[in-house]
Amino acid sequence: MSLKRVVITGIGVVSPFGNGVPALMKGIEEGRSAVRFMEGWDQYNGLQSLVGAPVTMQGEMSIPRQKRRSMGRMSIFAAQAADEALADAGIMLADEDLWRVGCVVGSTMGSAKSINDVFETMLPDKDLSKLNSTMFFQCMSHTATVNVAQYLGLTGTIMAASAACASALHAIGIGYDLIRLGRQDILLCGGAEELHPTVTGSFDILFATSTKFNDNPGKTPRPFDRDRDGLVCGEGSGILVLEEYERAVKRNATIYAEITGFSTTASGIHVSQSNKESMVMCIRQALADSGVKPEEIDYINAHATATLQGDQEEAEAIREIFGALVPVSCLKGNIGHTLGAAGAIELAASLKMMETGMIYPTLNLENVSQDCEGIQHVMHPLKKQVNTVLKNGFAFGGINAALVCKKI
Amino acid sequence: MTGQEIIEKTNKVFEESFEIEKERLVPDANIFVDLGLDSLDIVDLIVALQSSFGVKIRNEEKVRDIRTLQDLYQFISSIKNEEGTKNV
Repeated sequence: MSLKRVVITGIGVVSPFGNGVPALMKGIEEGRSAVRFMEGWDQYNGLQSLVGAPVTMQGEMSIPRQKRRSMGRMSIFAAQAADEALADAGIMLADEDLWRVGCVVGSTMGSAKSINDVFETMLPDKDLSKLNSTMFFQCMSHTATVNVAQYLGLTGTIMAASAACASALHAIGIGYDLIRLGRQDILLCGGAEELHPTVTGSFDILFATSTKFNDNPGKTPRPFDRDRDGLVCGEGSGILVLEEYERAVKRNATIYAEITGFSTTASGIHVSQSNKESMVMCIRQALADSGVKPEEIDYINAHATATLQGDQEEAEAIREIFGALVPVSCLKGNIGHTLGAAGAIELAASLKMMETGMIYPTLNLENVSQDCEGIQHVMHPLKKQVNTVLKNGFAFGGINAALVCKKI
Repeated sequence: MTGQEIIEKTNKVFEESFEIEKERLVPDANIFVDLGLDSLDIVDLIVALQSSFGVKIRNEEKVRDIRTLQDLYQFISSIKNEEGTKNV
């Protein structure tokens, strides 16, 4: 059985820079930071990191109430990103065989605010009678993908990928395989996540968050930088339209790129620490799947969350495979770490960089840390023909993911 | 609690919880057909009414017979009256 080719024909995002890909790219192009001091977070005892990259919710009332009622913040972001992605792809669902159209959307967990609200409502008096009917649908792990499917009326394959910060890349990888195997024609794939003090807190108690920039939020996170001190959580959603190649060509779709390689590996060593060896294996397998050599990659969009250990391991992994041959940058300095959405939002931005031939630098990378040297850090906007992109994503649980896209 | 107060409080639940315009909240409006509520909405309606009126109605058999807003006003009224009787 021959495998089908898979292309990306639409992208949509909700990011801390606002709704839509243009808002995201404008923020990146202008070198801005969306990181803010989070008012009210200081009421949480023990929370050291008081910064985040929030999304200002907009336009949610245009989602019909009976679709919206089961959506927490992340699902609203995902639905809005899916709308944009479909419009960008020029796909009218009314014209499609919806048994052949599905979605795979990942997130770390269900809506953090909704989960918090449920327990705040229920636990003080151990009373379930005040819980409304749709809270569970906001809290369940597959909330984002289910809500996208319900909102759009999709009836094909509906799956969720839950792999923390690698969720979106896993979702895209699953979608890539489903279309390659001929099981679906169109899949909306990506991730969603939302910002909440309990989410930042989960990293904070592990000393993984940025805590020294509460008075100067725009200066953090600082991926690969000498003065980096941890990650900053963000929120949003990224959705990509994956489509079978022949079908996309037949309808004269604009093709951003072909997905040519994907891999995911695990360290099997430690639940929270990153691991260079398993990252190297992951990237090498993605390159092999794609049939490209390291020197054929034109741009690497790094995961680089600005944690001390994670950035070092990723820089070492990139150095081992690519040396200083390939430009490397990441977007966490602009929009924080959007966790389960990161892989899709950052891949969407990478595809726009591919389209325009302009690679944007890692914001807040001012002095490359000694332990992150030896790779080609992009510290200023770089004009370059980009035909092939590698997108990295790594997650708690020792999970690694890497995706290769080629311009066609 | 007067009948008018019950109507106003009930209607407020429909406006706030289900985003239904005031003009549509007429007594003979069918909650399902005219106002578009479904099974999940009924759960939320019960939760909201319990909170708004300070009553427990989730396990009341009579809830199942409610079709129109007028049915609902009368149901709430009877529950509040029973409550008042118990307090005498």
